[in-house]
This record gives sequence, structure tokens and C-alpha cells, in this order.
Amino acid sequence: MNALIMALDSIQEKKGRSFLTMLGIIIGVTAVLVLVAMVSGYNADITAYYEKLGVNKVNITLTWYDRTRAVDVYDAVYTYGNETLGDMVEGVSPSATTDLPVKYRTTTLDTCTIYLGSDQFAACNNYTLEDGRDLSYYDIQQRSKVCVLGSYVADTLFPYTDPIGETVYLSGIPFTIIGTYYQKDGGAEDSMDHMISVPYSLNRELLQSADVTAITVKVDTSDHVDTVLNALDVYLAELVSSSVGEYSLENGNSAMTESTEETASMSVVLGGIASIALLVGGIGIMNIMLVTVTERTREIGIKKSIGAPRSEIITQFLVEAGILSGMGGLIGIALGFGLSLVLGKAMYDLILLPSALVTAGAFTFSVAIGIIFGIYPAVKASNLQPVDALRAD
Amino acid sequence: MSLIQLQNVYKIYGEGRENQVNALDGVSLEIDRGEFVAVIGASGSGKSTMMNILGCLDVPTYGEYYLDGVPIREKSRRELELIRSRQISFIFQGYNLIPSLKVWENVALPMLYQKIPLAQRKERAMAALEQVEILSKADSRPTQLSGGQQQRVAIARAIATGSPVLMADEPTGALDSKTGTQVLSLMKELNAGGTTVILITHDNSIAAQARRTVQVRDGHIVHDSVWDGVLVPAVGAG
Ligand SMILES: Nc1ncnc2c1ncn2[C@@H]1O[C@H](COP(=O)(O)OP(=O)(O)O)[C@@H](O)[C@H]1O
Ligand SMILES: [Mg+2]
Repeated sequence: MNALIMALDSIQEKKGRSFLTMLGIIIGVTAVLVLVAMVSGYNADITAYYEKLGVNKVNITLTWYDRTRAVDVYDAVYTYGNETLGDMVEGVSPSATTDLPVKYRTTTLDTCTIYLGSDQFAACNNYTLEDGRDLSYYDIQQRSKVCVLGSYVADTLFPYTDPIGETVYLSGIPFTIIGTYYQKDGGAEDSMDHMISVPYSLNRELLQSADVTAITVKVDTSDHVDTVLNALDVYLAELVSSSVGEYSLENGNSAMTESTEETASMSVVLGGIASIALLVGGIGIMNIMLVTVTERTREIGIKKSIGAPRSEIITQFLVEAGILSGMGGLIGIALGFGLSLVLGKAMYDLILLPSALVTAGAFTFSVAIGIIFGIYPAVKASNLQPVDALRAD
Repeated sequence: MSLIQLQNVYKIYGEGRENQVNALDGVSLEIDRGEFVAVIGASGSGKSTMMNILGCLDVPTYGEYYLDGVPIREKSRRELELIRSRQISFIFQGYNLIPSLKVWENVALPMLYQKIPLAQRKERAMAALEQVEILSKADSRPTQLSGGQQQRVAIARAIATGSPVLMADEPTGALDSKTGTQVLSLMKELNAGGTTVILITHDNSIAAQARRTVQVRDGHIVHDSVWDGVLVPAVGAG
């Protein structure tokens, strides 16, 4: 208690110097907190992006395939996925896109992403029907010239009227609009709502290619992705022997996992750099505590001459160092919260706050730094021979 | 057994033959409980050096110091702290009060190291301040006091500590003769109450009031006389 009051007195006495001493700790703690908050913001952003794309997918790619000598792989996978794998599979769709101008009467959208999909396209790509109807199995079979509009296309071409039943032209071919999707990505020109889906069986007309070389299989939960992937691998190995083609399989979640893991390892590196700031702050505290010991050598001598135990002297300086760095930590926490809020809003449009655990950790660490770096000056002070300490002025 | 016994004590400062200073050059001395000893000698003769060793603020380079019959060099750091805390009180020429603490807190501080509870510390500090007639300044800071007042606070601190031995290194050196006399009479009072007092002074009129006078010159004790003025040969003096 006594040591606490004396330490506060002494810090208070030299506010300017105390603040400068804390600066390293303040910067370190602020940096750590902002960093962690920004990484969590970045991860939230990445995750949201992948979730919009649709998570839990297995992507099949046919590198080459001799159609003349074997069955249609897409058809086979569609049937196998929907019938054999059952509930685990929510949809199978070719994943082919092209960019084409879209014309409605006199209005033209210069480039629009055209998805060539199956009747399960929406499930595979995380679109939800808003109005009308979706592509049907019959449309695919009949190669009907029908399409479903993303919200940007619908809103832009039909600001005042109902698009359903109207006709748009893709590559000069008329398509009847049968439905519209809900907005899923903000609805802007550069969003995933700037799209149109058409039956993939029109690929000959739109892509000048009859082959489906990429297939998306949508799985119900992330736990099942690997199960489905392995089952497909076994199935495809039989179907596509090496003499007729080559395929590869990919867990669609791995890209997301990879990028979050990447940021995790990057934040470790950045966190390391921030801890160096804390360490430098600790050295600053050691330095100032050494100065304080020198300044107060006479006081130490007086205390020793009247019987102060070594532990008392050590405690006094450790408490002061701990308070100094702890105060630096608190200021750093306040700044870290403020900066995280401001940057989080600006960069990710999120309310980002450092987690309680990280905050508590940063505070504990800064106090510990102060105490650890205070040990040397404190022990040095306590080891002074009373008469030597008294001689100082 | 004597309370204090120095046996052929040396204190050597400096390295090398040329720079070496024998501040104490083979000193032997015995002091009994309850004595009032004045230590006199020219400036630089080694009085403070001897006193610091007696008070366990410093250690001899060679020789033995027995306190209560136990050699100091056998004592642990903690035991020395306890001696400074409970056995010996100091009064310095420069007062040595802590400027950031109030007067009464200065007086009470040694009792904190004796683990005496706060209420009792404060009570005893106030009583000691009353004894040296400076109670009205209890809540002042030392720097707001005159030299004589500060020295009385230092004496109050020694009184409150309750140590059986009081050592004073030129306590009146910075005071005018009237305040010096007051300070001296306080110490005589303590001695009358049983406290052993060892007092360094270069003021012969003050030394004359002591029962025993020890004279130091160039690190040697050259005279050791009792109060009736009869010279006795110093122990080990050539
Ligand atoms: N820390 C020290 N380092 C070097 N020499 C010292 C030190 N302390 C005292 N001395 C020397 O020892 C001698 C005795 O000093 P001191 O005991 O202070 O004398 P006094 O108190 O009688 O004036 C002096 O010559 C002084 O210069
Ligand atoms: Mg001296």
C-alpha cells in the first residue's frame, strides 16, 4: 500500500517523463490490439466473401476427356450425386461462365456474367429465386432459351416493369426471362448480382463448345465435404479411366481455409513485430528506472540506514515500474479500441473491437514487461551499501 | 561483555600504493552499554568511517567488529537489516529526512520496517515529536523546517525507533550554538534514559560534556579519556 502511494507520487511528480517512458508500451499495446482487430475484420470479410460465393462445394475439373469413347461425365455425376449420395448433396451444376452483352430493346449492358447452369445452379451458387420460376430439368433437356436475372440486371433493364415474360438478347439469341434472383451481394454493377443464368445445354450456342469441363457439387455441411469428395473420387476413377480422360477434385472450402490460415500466420509475424515495440518499451522503462534509482540513491540510503529491508526497496521500484507500464498498457488499450473502431469502419464497414482475451493479455503482458525490466534497477538499488547510497546527493 | 568491540579494524579506500587511503589504520575500541562517548578529531581523520562501521552501514576492510559479542561479518544481510532497524539509530549532520514524506511519516517510517501497525506508529511518532517540542510541524514537509527543527525531527525519529544505541555524526555541525545546545541536551536526556550514545563532534565544548572522549587522528585512536579529564592510553595506540 505504502509502495503504491509512493510510486504514484513519484510518477505524478514527473508526468512528462513518465509519459515518454510509457510511449513504447503504448505504441506496442495499441499496435497489437489494432492488428488483432484488423485481422479478425479481414477474416470476417474473407469468410463473408466465400459464403456469398457459396461454401461447402466440391469442384470437379476435367482436364481432357474423349466424349466419343465414354459416357457423359456430367450426366453421370448429376445422377450419382443426386441419387446415390442423396441428402449430403444439395445440387450438381456445371460451372461454366462467359461474359456477354445483354440487350433489351434499346438498352444494352456491355458485359454481363452468363452462368451456364443446371436446374440446381441456384443451390450450387447460393442464389435464391425471388420471382417467377428457376431453370428446370425440362429446360435443360429441351435446351429452352430461357434465363433468370440477377438483381442488378433486373433492376437496370427493368426499373419500372416486371421482367418476367420479357425477352433479352444474348449474342443475338432471344431468351425469355422466367425468373429473378434475390440480391445477394449489394446489387451493384461490380457485384455478384450482375449475372444471368441460362441452361447449360445451350453451351454450343453461347460458348462454341459442347463439353462440360467443370462441375460443382454442392454439399450440405462442411463436415460432409471430404466424404463426398472421396466418394466422387472413387466413382470417377472407375468412370474416367486414364485412357479416356483425366480429372481432378478440389475441396471448395480449402481456398477459404487457406486464406484465413495465411492471415493467421501473417498476424503472428505482425504480432511479433508489435511485441518488439513492447520489448523496446520495456527497455525504456528499465532505462528510466535506472535513472530513478540514481536520482533516489540518497533516499534509498536513508531508508536502509533506518532499517528498510531489501525486499522493501525492491518492491518500491517494481511497483513503480509495474504501474508505469500498466498505465502505458491502459492508454494503449484505449487508443487500440479507438483506432480499431475507426479503421474497422473505414476498411471493412464493421464494428471491430479487440477481443477481451487479447486486451487482457496485452495488459498483463505490459505490466509483466514493466516488472521484468524493473527487476534489474530494483535489485541494483537494493544491493547498494547503505553508506555508499547515503553519500550520493 | 562490551556492547561494541572493534579489534584492529582497517578501512582502506582506493587502489594501488599511491592512491590508497587508510581511513582507519588499525583501530581497536570498546564501548559499554549506557555510555556517552564523544569522538573528536580533525576533518578527514576517520571519524565518520569508524561510525559507519559501528552502525553497520559499512564494513571493515580488515579486522573484526563484535556487536553484543557476535562478529558482524558472520551476520546475514537480513540480520544486518534488523540491527539497523532495531538496535542502532543514526543522526546525521545532513538530517537525512525523506523530502516527499511528511514530518510525522518520516518519524514513523523506521517503525514500518519493524512491522508496527499504523495506529501505533502514528501514536509513537506524535509522542516523539512532542518530546522534541515540534509536534506542531507534524504535517509539514521537512523542507519547510529550519535546520534545527529538521535535526529535532531526526532525533524524534531515533527516539520513536526505540533503539538502545544512538549514533550521531556531527549532529550540531550545521546548527547555530543555541540550537546545537538544545539538540545536545536531547541526547543527554536519552542517555540518562539508558540509551548508549556515540557522538562525533569537532566542537570541544560539546565534547567536554561527554563522560568519555575518544580522539582520532589519521585513522588511529590517539586519546581515550574519561570525563574527569584523566588521560588513559588508547587500546593498541602506539
Ligand atoms: N568513499 C571514500 N572513498 C575514498 N576515500 C574516502 C571515502 N570516504 C572517506 N574517505 C577518506 O577517508 C578519510 C577519512 O574520512 P572520514 O571518515 O569521512 O573523516 P571525518 O569524518 O573524520 O572527517 C579521508 O581522508 C577521506 O578522504
Ligand atoms: Mg565526517
